[in-house]
Amino acid sequence: MPIGGFVITVAPEEIDTVEAELSGRDACEVHGTDDKGNIVAVLDTETSDAMDDIVHELEQDARILSVGLAYLHAEDEVEKIIRGELTPDLRKRRRNESS
Amino acid sequence: MNAISRRQFIKRAAALTAASYVGMKLPFFLADAQGQDADTWTRGTCRLCGVGCRLELGLRNGKPVALRGVSDSRTNLGYLCMKGMLFHKIMEHPDRLTKPLYREKKSDDFREISWEEALDIAAQKFVDVKTEYGSDACAYYGSGQAQTEETYFFQKVMRAGLQTNNVEGNPRLCMASAVGGYLTSFGADEPIGGYSDIEQCYYFFIIGSNMAEAHPVIWRRVMRRKLDNPDTVKVVNADPRISATSRIADLHLQFDPGTDLALLNAMAHVIIEEDLVDHDFLRDYCVFKKGGDTIDFDQFAKDVAEYTPEKAAEICGGSMNPDDIRKTARWFANSKGTMSMWCMGINQRKRGVWANNLIHNLHLLTGQLCKPGADSFSLTGQPNACGGVREGGGLCHILPGHRPVAKDPLRKDVERLWGVPEGRIPPKPGYHTMAMFSAVNDRKIRAIWINCTSPAQSLPNLTPYRDGMAQDEVFVVVTDVFATKTTEVANLVLPTAFHFEKTGVYGCTERRSQITPKAKDAPGEAMPEVWMIREWARRMGEKLNDPVFAKVIEPFEGLEPDFDLPKAIWDEYTQKLTKGRDNDLRGATYDVLLQMPDGVQWPAPTEKFALTGGAVKKFVRGKDPLVEEHGEGDAPYVFYGPAHADKKLYVWFRPHALPGEVPDDEYPMYLSTGRIIDHWHTTSMTGRIPELLRANPYSFVEINPKDAERMGIKPNDMIEITTRRGKVTMPARVMEGPLEGTVFAYWHDMAESRMINKVVNDVFDPGSQEPEFKIGACRIRPVSGPRDLDPVVTQL
Repeated sequence: MPIGGFVITVAPEEIDTVEAELSGRDACEVHGTDDKGNIVAVLDTETSDAMDDIVHELEQDARILSVGLAYLHAEDEVEKIIRGELTPDLRKRRRNESS
Repeated sequence: MNAISRRQFIKRAAALTAASYVGMKLPFFLADAQGQDADTWTRGTCRLCGVGCRLELGLRNGKPVALRGVSDSRTNLGYLCMKGMLFHKIMEHPDRLTKPLYREKKSDDFREISWEEALDIAAQKFVDVKTEYGSDACAYYGSGQAQTEETYFFQKVMRAGLQTNNVEGNPRLCMASAVGGYLTSFGADEPIGGYSDIEQCYYFFIIGSNMAEAHPVIWRRVMRRKLDNPDTVKVVNADPRISATSRIADLHLQFDPGTDLALLNAMAHVIIEEDLVDHDFLRDYCVFKKGGDTIDFDQFAKDVAEYTPEKAAEICGGSMNPDDIRKTARWFANSKGTMSMWCMGINQRKRGVWANNLIHNLHLLTGQLCKPGADSFSLTGQPNACGGVREGGGLCHILPGHRPVAKDPLRKDVERLWGVPEGRIPPKPGYHTMAMFSAVNDRKIRAIWINCTSPAQSLPNLTPYRDGMAQDEVFVVVTDVFATKTTEVANLVLPTAFHFEKTGVYGCTERRSQITPKAKDAPGEAMPEVWMIREWARRMGEKLNDPVFAKVIEPFEGLEPDFDLPKAIWDEYTQKLTKGRDNDLRGATYDVLLQMPDGVQWPAPTEKFALTGGAVKKFVRGKDPLVEEHGEGDAPYVFYGPAHADKKLYVWFRPHALPGEVPDDEYPMYLSTGRIIDHWHTTSMTGRIPELLRANPYSFVEINPKDAERMGIKPNDMIEITTRRGKVTMPARVMEGPLEGTVFAYWHDMAESRMINKVVNDVFDPGSQEPEFKIGACRIRPVSGPRDLDPVVTQL
């Protein structure tokens, strides 16, 4: 169950709406924003693939200019890999996507 | 104080780290709680692109559990990107190669063998080939992801041991045109400035690069600069394709693939016509060149006169309009500091060197060079294309320290420094990459060692070269961490230690060398390459009864492989081979590098200077310590690059030229290809899918909505892409990305049916020999609606 600390940067005029949407996601805690368009958020997901998916989705959002990872912790997942309970799918999943 | 759970602790650590980067105060803090998240943190460089992000790998009980950025690194300022997720997944992955594997014939199954046997086989095969077919039947093909110590040591053994200059690397496929451009324009490889120019730049001209996806952490700095100065900083994105990079652009210039030479000439035209020229800079530092001749400013002006913005807009097609060209050129010239940034869109071209020259021309005409915030800045794709391959002698025509092998005095220099007999290194360059693999096809090369790269997927027009490598007459050794399409054609597969499982240096885009020490053991019997090279070389010397091999490895004998061996290699390279060269790295000892949060930018001839971080700008008096040695008088800039004896910068007239293949009646669309942020190259690391219970990643092709409508293509329809070289099929993504008439396919997929490089053109730049991956002609047709796609599994 990886935990990631991020700085998500949006155009300043979009910050309130993006912050609200992020806060509405189960996997996401917003810890603060500033007037430069920075949102400090922590993602806490079941798997690293799930975190990848969320980040990818955010990066496709035209309001979001950058998703910067600062800190990542994935010990639970490493233990599962070592125990043979999980074989990492190192490729990001791309479900059928339309424009 | 209430106790918090460990999980809560980690979430707070994550939040506080992120908040610290933007100076945000959070309503909690963490008391000293050592070991809650990791026992040890080891500082190193990321494995995965040319930015050179510095990070710390956290281990707990010897296992990788966490990553965090190094906030006082001058490359990433602490930020990382999602490719960092790969570290813990790759290190512990069950598919890691852990034992040497061998098969006599490529149709046999691999069997596990001991290292003793493996090294003996590798040595014997190369010795047999050398004896029967000659030195030039041996070859090494390496990588911009190999550490500098590995590349340097391999090429030393190849050149001074086996006596062949058949030393190449995958940067030939991505950066060779940038090298050619820098050498012909500036007389020296690699950027004059660096990342620190970003925060002083007032105009970003981004061309042929989707920085937001390919170099996201450096992109962040550009984005921040723009956001903080929305009115005074301008951004232009010039690309046939609209991408995430366009989100902060004031202007997106969209043009048909390959027409940017006309655009760049038109910008030069405007700069001259409107007298936005820095005449002083030109007079003091530049000469004009055309073909083999030196011309003058007036002649150059006449030559670019035909490239009016109107003419260029016509050539460029797309939505290009002449007024935008004028605006772009005026911003370029008039800004207080202009940075151009480019990557594969400019380099992977039949006229890639020319495209690089034309960008440099704009900086020379306007004097937008050497001052803060101004630079002609090539973005490097791989983490160590610069440090290892370009600087460490990893291409067929260059020896370490930027020495062309064909220059007798320089080659003799290297022989003397290595203590090997004069004449030991052959005087002519070896095969460049495309010629090397053609020579494999023709069985002129009979033994090849492929290290840390997968040409059986990454070469253009792939099929004939893969068939060539698969021949039983050609002995193929592959060193890697996972099975790949290239291990499928190997005889001998040797398991390597991954990043942080061995010690070594990477040199990133901005001339900065940074060290990554070993933090944990490699799995199974995987070993560092530097150990393998030494053991292999010793055995070859014994079998050939040739004492020069022993001389080649003499400084490295008896050293343990985790630290002392790479250190000794780095010491020889830096202290002997870079001494007195433009990439002088003598100050960047392991001691110094280990102290730095980031690393050292060359030239850095002394430890004292290296400890400041090195040379922020080359050629600038007061910033570059070599200027005093080379400089005449007190000119503020001295361009002492090794390729221009006259110490001048060259403005090259280069005409517009078409790509190698353009659309015609039979293949009416442009085909372009590229990377995607969350996959790295061939996905041998990022694409490991041993068993699939869920939907799988795959390639897809971007199609403009107008083309899609015209052809009745809906999102996710399966599209057959046909070129003169074959066909592949992949799902459609309909979007306003590519220009109408162009399709853009991602190249990372290992599935045969979707491997786009099979159909990509292998025509290459005559100067740099870099192939034109970026432009070809194709036709497309929908073959079905959406399909569940086959899994992609590359196993041994």
